Formats: sequence, structure tokens, C-alpha cells
Amino acid sequence: MINPFPVLPEFEYIRPKTAEEAIQFLQSHPEQARPFLGGTDCLVALRNRRISPNFLVDLKYLDGFQDVIFHPHDGLTIAAAVSMNEMIASEPVKMTYPLIAAAAREVGGYQLRSRATLIGNICNASPCGDTIAPCLVYGGMLAALGPDGKRCIALKDFFLGPGKTILQPNEIVCSIRFPLPPAGSRGKYLSIGRNALGDLAIAAVTILAFPDASQPSGYCFRIALTAVAPTVIFAEEAQRLLSQTPLNEKTLEQAALLAGQCCSPIDDIRASAHYRREMVRVLTGRALQQVWNALQKDVQQEGGNG
Amino acid sequence: MPELDQISQGIGENVARVDVQEKASGAALFTDDIQFGSNLLHARIKRSPLPHAIIQSIDISQAERLPGVKAVVTGADFAGRIGLYLKDRHIFARDRVRFIGEPVAGVAAISEEIAEKALDLIRVEYEPLQPIFHPLDAIKPDAPLIHPDLGSYEVVNFIFPEPGTNISNHFKIRKGDVERAWAQCTAVVEREYYIPHIQHVPIETHVAVAQVSHLGKITLWSSSQSPFAQRDLIAKTLGFSPSDVRVISPYVGGGFGCKAGVTMEALPIVIAMKAKGFPVKLRLTREEEFYTNFVRQALVIRLKMGCDQAGNLLALENTMYWDGGASTEYGVNITRAGGYSSTGPYDVPNVKTDSYCVYTNNIIGGPYRGFGMSELHTGIEQCVDELADALGMDKVEFRLRNVVQGGDTLATGMTMHPTGIKECIQKVAAAVDWGKTSKSTEPYLKRGKGIAIMWKAPAMPPNPGSSATIKLNEDGTLLLGIGGQEIGQGTFTVMAQLAAATLGVPVKAVRIAKPVDTDYSPYEWQTVASRLTWSMGNAVLAAAQDARRQILAIVAEAWKEDVDDLDILDGVVISRKTEKEIKLKDFAVYGIPKENFEGWIGGPIFGRGKFMPTYVTGLDKETGQGKRAVVHYTTGAQAFEIEVDIRTGKLHVLRAAAAFDVGKAINPELVRAQMEGGLIQGLSSALFEQMIFKEGTMQNPNFVDYRIATTVDLPDEMMTFIVEVPQDDGPFGARGVGEHPMVPTVAGIANAIQDALGIRMQGPPFTAEKILLTLQSQEEKKG
Amino acid sequence: MADQIVQMTVNGRLEQYRIPQHMTLLRFLREMLALTGTKNGCEAGECGACTVLLNGEPVNSCLVLAVECDGATVETVEGLTERGALAALQQTFMEENAIQCGFCTPGMLISAYALLQRSPHPSDQEIKEALVGNLCRCTGYERIVKAVRQAAQA
Repeated sequence: MINPFPVLPEFEYIRPKTAEEAIQFLQSHPEQARPFLGGTDCLVALRNRRISPNFLVDLKYLDGFQDVIFHPHDGLTIAAAVSMNEMIASEPVKMTYPLIAAAAREVGGYQLRSRATLIGNICNASPCGDTIAPCLVYGGMLAALGPDGKRCIALKDFFLGPGKTILQPNEIVCSIRFPLPPAGSRGKYLSIGRNALGDLAIAAVTILAFPDASQPSGYCFRIALTAVAPTVIFAEEAQRLLSQTPLNEKTLEQAALLAGQCCSPIDDIRASAHYRREMVRVLTGRALQQVWNALQKDVQQEGGNG
Repeated sequence: MPELDQISQGIGENVARVDVQEKASGAALFTDDIQFGSNLLHARIKRSPLPHAIIQSIDISQAERLPGVKAVVTGADFAGRIGLYLKDRHIFARDRVRFIGEPVAGVAAISEEIAEKALDLIRVEYEPLQPIFHPLDAIKPDAPLIHPDLGSYEVVNFIFPEPGTNISNHFKIRKGDVERAWAQCTAVVEREYYIPHIQHVPIETHVAVAQVSHLGKITLWSSSQSPFAQRDLIAKTLGFSPSDVRVISPYVGGGFGCKAGVTMEALPIVIAMKAKGFPVKLRLTREEEFYTNFVRQALVIRLKMGCDQAGNLLALENTMYWDGGASTEYGVNITRAGGYSSTGPYDVPNVKTDSYCVYTNNIIGGPYRGFGMSELHTGIEQCVDELADALGMDKVEFRLRNVVQGGDTLATGMTMHPTGIKECIQKVAAAVDWGKTSKSTEPYLKRGKGIAIMWKAPAMPPNPGSSATIKLNEDGTLLLGIGGQEIGQGTFTVMAQLAAATLGVPVKAVRIAKPVDTDYSPYEWQTVASRLTWSMGNAVLAAAQDARRQILAIVAEAWKEDVDDLDILDGVVISRKTEKEIKLKDFAVYGIPKENFEGWIGGPIFGRGKFMPTYVTGLDKETGQGKRAVVHYTTGAQAFEIEVDIRTGKLHVLRAAAAFDVGKAINPELVRAQMEGGLIQGLSSALFEQMIFKEGTMQNPNFVDYRIATTVDLPDEMMTFIVEVPQDDGPFGARGVGEHPMVPTVAGIANAIQDALGIRMQGPPFTAEKILLTLQSQEEKKG
Repeated sequence: MADQIVQMTVNGRLEQYRIPQHMTLLRFLREMLALTGTKNGCEAGECGACTVLLNGEPVNSCLVLAVECDGATVETVEGLTERGALAALQQTFMEENAIQCGFCTPGMLISAYALLQRSPHPSDQEIKEALVGNLCRCTGYERIVKAVRQAAQA
């Protein structure tokens, strides 16, 4: 029986002045203190009795936690407290990392995204977290801060299972950094929910592809799958096939099949495992087709220009 | 766009809503908005975690000792049973719990936080009993009894419980001879459908605040469609006189039936009885709204329908098992309504209907927008399509041939009044270019069209009353007193229009006396059944005529003229004979002086009116036959063009058309607004909605997993048509249309899916997954 | 229970209150300031009835702590109405009959207002996406979308 509190349960709200102070507080209140960003998951979890921290440690006001920084050579850094709306509206995200914006647009309603953050979405480690897959295909690197100082964590190594990550309880994630996408990258994010928009993903597919002369097919594909495994995963066999086999309709179809096979979805009240698997196949097929069309068009245009 | 207040008054005019300014500015007051000050207590409810169990003991001693707790109550404090048609429910469970979420104990404390803590300190011990979650299990002879005392419950005389079983009402129709008729049928279709539980989802959850004086007088502020029914039922259950209870009900943030009757409102009252003087507020969380309050009951419907070679319907056998849940105090009448309307809007000579209301250990079923009718028509309208298909006949033509018409004898023996259902069918069919196919842009997108029609009568006791008062103010405005509730449908506006038009004043001169207050407002049975425009409208008309008579009599006496020569136009009394004029504001309260200071004529004008249908008869218990089962039927039709992605199962509505015969549209835009809102609510139930239970526990009691339609799920195009075949007992010929627009939608979508994909499903919601899996299993069958 | 003194500008007025730290902005507005135009529909950020502007951006006030707003600027339907910011939308909502029970209306108006602030001439699709977090059970949305479109054209 889901029986939430009628109002939020009692807790103390801590607003540290520095990141170090935040770490120190977390360290001195193990099991009791929890980092707090936009609150869109945390407050709901509190109300639903899923978590019961005594302290919420608000990281939003820390120096540098509101920054979006783009270097034409080094890439993009999005700090922990940047709201999804700010992120979606920022030029480098729109122009250079459009898959992140496309996925973030699926998160709740606009007013939720005024508060929801990319880092929050990542740290929740939900298998259906919409923005995780785009961050994976862009090769995101998390900057975490703990008692022993800073460390960088490749996003692909971050997740352990639903709601579980390698982050220590006394560590916080300060930002995520993305290298520049490889030259000639093309991508697509496709998801399916119950409503046409604004619902949690039943399944989603994120694809980033780019020309890569070192591959037999001439291209490298990154395909990440959402809501169909304990964590967001890469469809590795499909990726391998697409880099090693000449690309044509049949290869794409086969890759879509492989993507459907590589996931391990569950039955829940949103969808059955069978349907999720089917959707991975269908959405991967469609996304691949669109990405491939775009890549081919690039080649034709280059040819035309040349 | 003209200035809103310059739009001319009158019937059939699109007058701006009278409540719109308040609602657009945030000033409109809802129950939770009323300020009670710092001594407001907050109530929380301890609920049963088990679907069926004996309560062995309840220990409230620790909770009572928690600082800040003012009162703790349990079922031991109140013995009476409550219920609208069948008194089968305790306010707090006594001895036994019958569904997960049933109130077991209640707490009032100085904050919600403390009240919540007190709940954790209440210890309840249960002895589990075998639960029953499906009506077909509940009717088995060896099923455990959920209400062993059913035979001793108080019940109204048109509901027929079967003590010793789990059946709390059995409604029957026996007309003609179905067994003989089957032999004459060229085509017979036999189908079973399951329509799951869904919830009303008003955006405002239930809120009620109760205060009990030290002399025991009760005041209740509640978000309610039924202030008068609440007063009556709660008073009787607690052993009070109804006039010792006062119910005040401001604006309602969405009702759809869930705020009718009494659901949670008695809880804060009985808690407040132990904390006299304090106002006690109970506000349901969204989750409680889902799994503890009335919902739309589930239905198993078995239909057999047959027709001859020419396509004439000859026989119908309809057996309905309604999952009434743990209490069927309101649900028994849903069963009855489903029964007497069980043919759908068709003329069928041979009918056998059995409509069973069945107790289960599920959540309580109650009224939901057009109760019984969406569920019933979901079955009927699919069977009708299948019959037409079996004959190779066009589905529109089949319907036009068989629909009920004025003068037909209905299954209950009642004679049908004139109705515009044929026009409704033709309008929606034309709107979606019925008979023409349109092409999709991709090979994996399949298009189809579907139509479904409906009828519905106001479902209520034979004698629900309405009344109205009109009081003229010093400034010439008038205060219209009504007991019907503005729940969004626009009734305040329509009543203002009726009063203004009858009296001869501009609509803007009419004020609605609010909030509805049982101490000050005239009696109104309930805001349900799409009955207000018709029933309360008749009372308002009578009150306005009464006031008009008084006004004209005063002026006639003062001017020494004949009443027949006088009229009221735009708030001014005029004489057609002498062309004299006098403004209402110049005499409405203080009267008119006689000539030469010889005294005065008149005095405050106060009009009153009432209406109660006196012509509805009982129906025979064994045959369902009677002279007039209902007051009248509103009919209508919807048609859809849809597109389905056969690889994902996603359905998108391209075009939706709705037409309803409302008799007379008092305010056409408000009628259209009902048609649109109802259609989308119906579409939402067709595509998304289902309360998912696991052993009686709802798995999706929140908006995360109980999805409803949002802006992005709209049809590309929505078209509405108003048909007007006047109703002889309606004000200006009007009939209600509040509920009807969601009735045919599920069937219409189901029929469009069949047209597009050649598949049928056992019941809604037609989720993308269900559509895809049904397609896949059909392909497997084909091999 | 930990209390804290917060200062915030609500509808142009500086407010200072001592409040519990777990109090949401929604409760603060409704219970302390009697700004009851902001509605409580789900307390989980799903229905949008409690939408207000926080430093100019629409947020679900049920998912914001009042203490987070220390030093912030908050605007509700009452304040926006008073300073005339919603006039165009209110007019078209009235004209198009985009209001029925009215419970979702304040949140809907604020989401629509925020949309027109950031995109004065939105397409229908943009309007629909901007309002996807505001549930309405009465109107069927069509008239709301139309009202926003009309306000943008006005």
C-alpha cells in the first residue's frame, strides 16, 4: 500500500558555503545526510517514505555549480545545479550536443525541468533516466569531489544497478564534462512512453554515429538503450556489427535485432519485457535509418562540394 | 471580439461564464482555500492494509497520549450504517474490513505531521479472511460472504438485494421471447468484455472540514456535488436531524461523480465530534484519492445480439456483473441504470437482461460521469459493429435502421419521446468522411474509422427535487438562490441565463448566491446525472416567473393598468399601452408610492420555484416493465478517424466528431465545451486508464503510473455538432449533456481500431502494448 | 523540527517569516500568505496546479522548499493578475471558454505566461509541449491551446 505523507516529513536543511564544507557535513553524518539539487526526485522520495534522511545538503548555491562552460576545443562542462531548462536552452547543447536536449525535453513538464538537473538525473541512476543515454554516447566524464579530493569517473563506469552507483556516500558530483563529439557526428534519440510526451520512457534508444576510417564499415556507432536493463546500457554487439560490416538496409535491420536481443528488460506496470524488447528493436531500426540517411547525405554533400 | 459584457442576453446565446473572472484570477474559493485560523486541526486516517479481515483489536492509547493529538476515533464510537440507496457501510470499519484503504481509525491533531505520527502509534490486529477480487468468483455458490448481514440492511424500494449471496442488486428485463427470436436471426454475435476500474481524477482531491459546536450542531465545509444529500445521509447515520447539520460547499475542483453522495465527508465530522469547537480538516492526498475513495467499478458484460437478413435487430441478451467492491451503497443504482438502458439506443423487440451488482473486496464503486453507460456501450456498440459486418452492411446504415425513435416502446415498456439520434449519426459520419478511405504517409501507419452512438437517462430515484429562489436587490440586480453546484460544467451560467431571460433582465444583473449552503440555499437533490439544466432549470424558471408576476402586479397596481399590457425588458418595466417605464431598481425593495401620499404599493420581491418529476413509475421486479422508467433520454454519436503505428502499437486520433441532441442549447459554447471535455476524458480512458490491482492493492495510485491524457494526446481535429429536438419537460426544451460525451468514446475507438487493423480486444485501455500484442498474436494465428 | 527565518519577495512585497525547514513553497504561499490561488493537486510535481514563478521561471511549488527561496522572488497568480501580466491570457481564456472547474487554471495560466515570455509566437506544438505538465480533467485542453494561441496573436 503506497501511503505517502500528507506533507513532507521533517528534516533539516543545510546550505553549505563551500563544496568542502558540504563534503565534511556528509562525512560527519553518515546515513543521515543526503545531497540535494533540484529536489524533483528527492522530495518525492521523501514524501513516499522511500528515503528518510535527517539532513538535506543543498549544493545548488556552491561556487561554480551553476555553470555551463563550452570550449571549442575541449568540449562542454555542465555543472551539477544547472537546470534542465537552462541546459536545453544553452547554445552549445543545442548546436553541438543536441541529443542531450532531445532527451531532456522528455523529462516531465517544463516547470519540472526548471528544477530538475542533469547530474540529479544521472545520480538517481534510474534505468529509465532519460538523459543518461545521451551523456553516455557523448562520452561523459563526471567530476566527483570527496574527502580525498577530486576524481574523474567515466559515466560508463558509474552505474552499478537501479539506484546504485560507485559514488561514495560522502562524495558529490560537481559536474559532467563532454569531449567534442567526433567530427561528422550524427545522432538520434527516440523514446516511447504511454503519453505522446512527458511520460517516463518504456524504452528509449540513443544513437551517435560518425565517420571512422579505422573501422571496416567506415563508421563508428554508439547505441545506448534506456529502461530495458538494470542500468542504461550500450548495445555492444549491434555497435560492433555496424562498425565491421558494410552498411546497408540489411545491416541496419540486423543491428536493430541485436539491440533487441542484448537488453534484459523486466515486466512492470508500465510495460512487459516482451514489449520493451520489441520497442528496442523498432526504435533502434528507425533511429539507425535516420542516422544513416543523415550520414549518407553528408557524404553526398561533401562529394558535391568537392 | 466584442466586449464580453456586451454580448446580448438570451437563451441560445454564448454568454460568458459567470464564474470565469474569479477562476482566472485565482480568487475563486475552493474548500481547501477557506482560512480557519490557527486552531484548525488536521485529520488523518488509519486504513486497512488487508482486503478482507476481522478486526480483533484496536489500541489507540499511545496515539491519544501523543502531544498535539486532540481526538482519536474508531468504529467502536459509531454504530450506524451509511449509504445512498443501500445502507451497507460504516463510517469507520467495525468488526470487519472489506478493502485495502478502508478507514479503521481517525486522528485529529494540531498539525498534519503530528496526526501522521499518531497513526503509526495505533495498533490494529487483524484476522485475515479469504478475499474475493473478481465478481465472477464472488457469485460462486461457495464464495465467502462479504456482507453476511445483507438481509438486514436498509434499502430503497427499487433495489433488490439477494441476502445470503454477494449480490446486492439484481435488475431484470424480460420482454418478448429471446429464445424464440434467436431462431429467426440471420446473424448472431456473442461476446464478453471486461471494462476495468478507472478513477475520476478531479484535479482537486477530496477536502472536507467539520466543526461540531458544544451543543452538537454540525457544520461541514466540503468539496461536494451533494451538500443536501450529505446533510441528510450523515445526519441520519449519526442519529441527528438533518436540520442540525449544515453543509457549505464552495466551488468544486472537478467532480465527475466522485464528489456525489457521501464518501469521505463523514470522517472529519465524527472526528470533530470528539474535538468540539475545533474545525477539523481532512484533505485526501492524491494517492488516497486513488485508492480509498469511490471509483468507476469494473464490469464483466456478456452480450448476445441477433438480427435478421435485412439488418433488423431481433433480440438481445445482456448479462452484466458489476464489480461493486466492498460497499455498493451507490453502486446498486448503477446496476439498475445499466439494466434499464441495457439495449443501448436501439429498438429491440426481444430483450433479456440480468444486471448484477456484486460485492468484492475491491475498492468501492461509485458514480462516474454517465455511470454504467460508458461500460455498457463499450460492449453494445462493438457487437453492433460486428453484426453489421456479419451481414456485410454499412455500420452507419445498420445503426440508422435500428436506432430508437419517438413512439417506440422501449425494453422497459416506456414510450420513447422524439429524439435526434439519426441526425447525430449523420452529422458525425459526414464529419469524418464516412465511407471514404484516406491514405497514410508511411506503410506502417494504418488508418481506420469508427462510429459509436449512445443514450443515457438521468439515473436517480423517481422523485429528486429542485428548488430556486430569486431575490431582487436595491440596485435592480437579482440574487439567484440554487442548491445545485458549479463543478465546472457551467450550471451557474446557464441558470443565470434562464433567470435573466424569464425575468427580463440582462444576464450580468444576475448574481448566484454562493457558496451553496444547506441553511440558506434552496433544496437540490444532487449535482449528478446531467439533471441540473433540466430539473434545476425548471425550478429557476418557476422562480423567475413567480418574481415576474410579483413585479408586474405591483406596477400594474401603481399604474392602474392591466398586467397583460406590461413587460420587463432589460431590467425596466414598460407598458406597451401607455409607454410608461420604471426601472426595477426604483421599486424592487422599497415599493412604489401611491399618488398624493396615500400610502405605498409593493415590498421586497422574492420569487420561488420548485420542480420534481412526478411521472416516473416503478418497474416490475421480475420483468423490469413499467410505464415510465426514466424522465427522458439524451442521445448522441461520435466518430473517429485514427492512425495506428503497427510496429509500436501507438494510436493517434486524426479526427474526432461528436454530436448530441441536447433539446435546446441554452449556451451553445458551454455545450460544445462539455462535448470536447467528455470526449477527451473518454479518449483518455480508451487509451491509458486502468487502476491496476495486485491482491487488492492498487499498484498505480499516482500520476506517474496512472496516466491521463495531456495536451500532447489531443486529436488533430475535434468537431462538435449540436442537435436540438426539444424535450417536452425541459426548460426551453433543454436536456442535460454533462456526462454523455464520454459514453461512446471507448467503443468508437475500438471500432476504429477494428477498421484499421482487423483486431478486437476484450476491453480498454487500448494501450500501444495491447494493440501490438493483439496484432502479433493475430499474425501468429494466421501462421 | 528545525525552523529558519526566510525573506523573500512575493508578488512584489518583501515577506519575512520563521518557518519549518521542511515546509514547501506551496504550503508557505497557501498557509502563511493566504495566496490560495496556487493549488495543491498532487504534491509530487505531476499535475502542475501549484505552478508559480520562482525568479521568473515556472516551478512546481510543491517540489520547492520555502527555505530554498530565501532571497528569491516569487510570483503567484494573484500578483501576476494584479500587475496585469496575465491580462491577455485571462481575456482569451475567458473568451474561448478554456476554464471549467477552474482548479488547474492558475497553474495553466502561469505556464502559458512563461511560454509567451520565452517564445512570444509559439506554434501549436510548442504550446502543447509547454503545457504538458499541467493536467486538466474538464476541458479536453483544446480550448486552452486555442486561448494561448489567441493571446500570442493579440
